[in-house]
Amino acid sequence: MNPRSGIAMQLIDVSKHFGGISAANHVNLSLPYGKVTGLVGPNGAGKTTMFNIMTGHIRPDEGSVLHKGVELLTMSPRAIALRGVARSFQALRLFSHMTVLENVLTVMERSPWSFLSGGSEKRLRLEKAEEILSRVGLAGLRNELAVDISYGEQKFLSLARILAMEADVWLLDEPASGLDLSSYDRFFGILRERVEAGVAICLIEHNLDIVRGISDEIAFLDRGTVLDQGEPERILNDAKLTAIYFGEAV
Amino acid sequence: MVNYFANLVTVTGISMILAISLNLLIGYAGIFSMAHAAFYGVGAYVAALLALHYTAELTLAVPLAMVTCAAASLLISLPALRVRGEYFVAASLGLQVIAFTVFEQWHSVTGGLSGLIGIPVAELFGYSLASPLAFMGVTIALVALVALAVICLLRTAFGRDLRAIRDDETAAAAAGKNVAVIKSIAVAISSALCAVAGVLYAFNIAFVNPESFTLNLSVLVMAMVIIGGAGTITGPIIGAALIQCLPAALSWLPLPPQNIGYLQQILYGLAMVLLMIYRPAGLMGKARSKG
Amino acid sequence: MLLLQLLLDGIQSGAVYALMAVGFAIVFGMTRIFHYSHGATYLIAGYGFYACTSVFGLPWYLSVLAAIVLSAGFGALVQLLVYRPVQRDAGSFFTVFVASFGVGVVVENLLAMMFGSGFLSVTSPLSRAQPIMGLYISQLGMIIVGTAPLIFLALNYFFDRTSVGLALRGLADNPDLVTVYGLSAKSLFLIALVLGSLLVVPAAVFQTITAGLTPSAGHRVMLISLAATIIGGIGSLRGAGLGGLLLGVAESLSFWRLPAGWSDAVTFLILLAFILLRPSGLLGQKVRV
Repeated sequence: MNPRSGIAMQLIDVSKHFGGISAANHVNLSLPYGKVTGLVGPNGAGKTTMFNIMTGHIRPDEGSVLHKGVELLTMSPRAIALRGVARSFQALRLFSHMTVLENVLTVMERSPWSFLSGGSEKRLRLEKAEEILSRVGLAGLRNELAVDISYGEQKFLSLARILAMEADVWLLDEPASGLDLSSYDRFFGILRERVEAGVAICLIEHNLDIVRGISDEIAFLDRGTVLDQGEPERILNDAKLTAIYFGEAV
Repeated sequence: MVNYFANLVTVTGISMILAISLNLLIGYAGIFSMAHAAFYGVGAYVAALLALHYTAELTLAVPLAMVTCAAASLLISLPALRVRGEYFVAASLGLQVIAFTVFEQWHSVTGGLSGLIGIPVAELFGYSLASPLAFMGVTIALVALVALAVICLLRTAFGRDLRAIRDDETAAAAAGKNVAVIKSIAVAISSALCAVAGVLYAFNIAFVNPESFTLNLSVLVMAMVIIGGAGTITGPIIGAALIQCLPAALSWLPLPPQNIGYLQQILYGLAMVLLMIYRPAGLMGKARSKG
Repeated sequence: MLLLQLLLDGIQSGAVYALMAVGFAIVFGMTRIFHYSHGATYLIAGYGFYACTSVFGLPWYLSVLAAIVLSAGFGALVQLLVYRPVQRDAGSFFTVFVASFGVGVVVENLLAMMFGSGFLSVTSPLSRAQPIMGLYISQLGMIIVGTAPLIFLALNYFFDRTSVGLALRGLADNPDLVTVYGLSAKSLFLIALVLGSLLVVPAAVFQTITAGLTPSAGHRVMLISLAATIIGGIGSLRGAGLGGLLLGVAESLSFWRLPAGWSDAVTFLILLAFILLRPSGLLGQKVRV
């Protein structure tokens, strides 16, 4: 993947209401290539909703969602995934009763007719899956069921699945929560490497120290509104925003 | 005595094919079909009509019934599965109801409520299968073939597609899987395998009528799969054997005969509820290790 | 004239189908529970009504009251004894559906054991048809057609004006946000189940008096409720009501040209047509295809 510049994904004036609750309120957000954008905000700010809107799981009431300049609003989650928008879930959503290797393999088997493809293609997929598993340190667990490995390992499997998708936009929902320090470094090492290769990453994270460490840019969300987007230091040192974040009266 | 035994094995074998084929949907694709008895019926009627009007050759009846059922299944699966799982439950429930109506009302072809009688003895490569033992042999072979087909299918990329969808449909779609097409293929394969059971049934009792293909049978097969353990290879086989034996066991109870049928169903129903509360994976399934 | 009569009959059964379907739509739409034992609730209300009038000889209004209590109680019991334990560790669509289905099978066969599998019906002065301008309508039919709109108005008020109703609607959209209203999801589930079950009673009573009752009727109730919900658009209660009305009228009109056995086929064909041509239903939000 060549390093790319410019905007990978863009939300323009997106709004979504659930009953009386506004989950997104005229949101403008852009994810540049080669950068990590941290999505920060108090609980219930609508961070995951933003992901769901970008991946087509929730259709906004108004606004526009662009990927490489193409409107995604009418597309199914599948079509959006095939265009190169990969996501992880807070609840991981692994294929729990399949082995670690199968979890990665199946992501690479995009077409329902993959099983008809010949031996060389199959071997290629298998090799690549093995390579990804060694990259994330799960090669030794390839034949374990996803449900049987530890939580930290499941986080890496979730990452392996995203690597297998060869997407140019990664949406990661709390990828680091529950990781110990050493795996945390390993995890973000892989992210950094992909970002340098040009991938646009957007991640939701509660731990502000982590966000500060990994993000190139931060968007601050509260009650469905992007209050500010910019340099991590500037956003995280903004007294008004931190007050909102820690639930203090403003 | 030998004939009685052979017939029991044949009947149980037919149930096993039904359960194995439905398990492909419930256990591996996470699709709920209420129309399994309808496809079973279509398979049986196709075999009966072919035998009555043309030939009783199994090598012809089985493929023809399979193709017919697979094609019929696409009729509901393609539109319903594009949308959501619930739509398929509704469509298959509707199909089951309408299938019974068609079997019952289309007199000129199905013989209406009195059905089709005098189905000739099945033949295999021209050899007559008049002896119950020979027919039992063929049934066992077909059970093995159907089970083998399912096992092989599950090891392919397609099998992974199915299991991925069952484990997490949202994640599967987010990984770019064409959920609707994959599910529709699964339904077609399952219906085709189910048709095999229908063909065997028609030749075994030499008579078909609508009463044999009601919603109750769909429920029964579902119970076999779920009690045995959906999503396992042995589960539906054990489940089918168990449920086939249950009436015999219950007949020892001092109950009026008509109540035994009800009691049987009550037990299935109760087993389904209790299993879902305490052991959702079924008897043969792995108990859930982690949340 | 025949056509008008059929239309009138269709509106009567359509009215009770509508209520029944709204009951299912409330449970399914708000809690995402695929409540297959909705059919069982119908049976319990119907057989309860039958037992009270024909076995215990109670007057009809007391019997209706009994049916109301029984179905509400059954709905609550299913929620507390089955759905809640099944969902305690995030029961999937699959496990909840199977459990619900199992409950339906148990109820159907218990009732068959107690009352036999044949048709039972209640003869009531209410069912005697009165000729009005050449058309026949029973007292019961008039009561139904008169009360159904009132029930709909009450439901409308409940979901639009009361805090519980609003919270239930919120539950449908986004379960995580409901806590905002200060009601636990648990109690909302219970309310949805009881409310949904209550709405079956008119259908059960009406059908028991007019068409009769069999233990296997539950599946048909399910088919109609489910079909109406889809036709109306999943998530839309008004849609489910309209769908039920449409199915009742269509079923009745089918007698004009088709033999009696085909009325369910008409339901199915309408359902299939909607799934094919308009999967989002009459009033539902657009469904992804």
